[in-house]
Amino acid sequence: MKCAEVHPNLAAFALGGLEPEGATEIQRHLDSCSDCQSELKEHRKVNRALEAAPPPTPPPAYLREEVLSRVRAEQPSPSNREEAEESSVEAHRISQRTSRFNRFKDLRIILPSVAAAAVVAVIAVGVFFGFLREETPVATIQLIPTPHEASGLKGYWGVAEIRPQPSGNQQVELKLNNFEKPKTNSYYEMWFVSGDKRISAGSFTSVGRGETRVLLNVSPEASTYHTLLITEEHVGKHPAPSEEVALKGEVP
Amino acid sequence: MTQRADEPSDEQLMTNLDGAGVEVALSKLYDRYNRTVFGVGLRIIGDRSMAEELVQEVFLKVWRSSSTFDSSRGSFSTWLYRVTRSCALDLYRKRAHRIRQVSNGELHMAAERDSSAGPQEVLDDSGLSWRVSRALEMLDEPHREVTDLAYFGGLIQREISERTDVPLGTVKSRTANALKKLRAELALGDTLQEAIR
Repeated sequence: MKCAEVHPNLAAFALGGLEPEGATEIQRHLDSCSDCQSELKEHRKVNRALEAAPPPTPPPAYLREEVLSRVRAEQPSPSNREEAEESSVEAHRISQRTSRFNRFKDLRIILPSVAAAAVVAVIAVGVFFGFLREETPVATIQLIPTPHEASGLKGYWGVAEIRPQPSGNQQVELKLNNFEKPKTNSYYEMWFVSGDKRISAGSFTSVGRGETRVLLNVSPEASTYHTLLITEEHVGKHPAPSEEVALKGEVP
Repeated sequence: MTQRADEPSDEQLMTNLDGAGVEVALSKLYDRYNRTVFGVGLRIIGDRSMAEELVQEVFLKVWRSSSTFDSSRGSFSTWLYRVTRSCALDLYRKRAHRIRQVSNGELHMAAERDSSAGPQEVLDDSGLSWRVSRALEMLDEPHREVTDLAYFGGLIQREISERTDVPLGTVKSRTANALKKLRAELALGDTLQEAIR
């Protein structure tokens, strides 16, 4: 092989992206060509740097609107902005905890030590976002194992309750029983599905035995997506949703 | 996400966070940086739901603390990295507290990552992680796609060609160009030297 043939393949070679036969031919050429070796060395530096790259997974789409709706809600009048800033930071921190069921116990520990003024702010913000209200769900969906999962069934099941939020998002409260822990470097993700389109409601892990309860949030568009899936996803893999469906349900 | 030449710079957008254009400005900054904040947060904290919480915390802090940003002292990206690092450290500590609670049977949720790497160790690595993520974000979509599929997806060039329906020769040239662009981008901040140390 000549340098002109090897050169276009060196980047792929550095990434391990060639077929074995092609890689062997490139290696044979490299053994006797210092120019191509130098070029490969440069590619490998980039390859090494890429090891530090975070996985190319975007956060759930609903987060963008969540941030903006909180900015809208918190935007104070110019005169009291400075005064409001400190209490809103604390209030937000605590309302975040209230937004997830699994942090209720955190809240119980923290609340006694929070100053009275902050508590007032917490309640005000919490009520505004609907986090502290016990609303009746607009839909309760049974989530059942897919046939593949059922073959190794260990008595798990799930229920999803959907509640609309003032921000327009939908809150999904998942109650999962005996849901297995995800494999190493994996996590569960919940999806709303319509045809071949999916919207992520967020991700979670579980402890296996007993009941796992999770609060997730999904964007308003998901209200027209009537299939719910829980899939097992792998950290660092291709960003497309996994096909490993653990539970499935249909919105009535 | 690549930025077009006619779009406002990050620093210009920061000056709009105090007025009527706050939502437009914050949306643009979010679109440019959300993947980096989320990805680096995920590396630091190791827990997806907390990394999602981090994204919200960071962008709210960008809005709330926009007056503390001084473009004469450094770029927006550097400032945002410091904000992200600080918020991530807070969440990391909170998470460590939560892991202890799990061991006492107090909580239903478990964290994904053990605490074998200390926060300082993880945070030291996060600067490099941030710069590499930003370099990847500077690639345009076709180059970003082949890099993601080749490096993170572990696909060989033929498989990328089949998956994307792009000729094999084009996949190879995009891969080579992507690495070249990354090399140029990372060389600016001596990131390559840091990576190979």
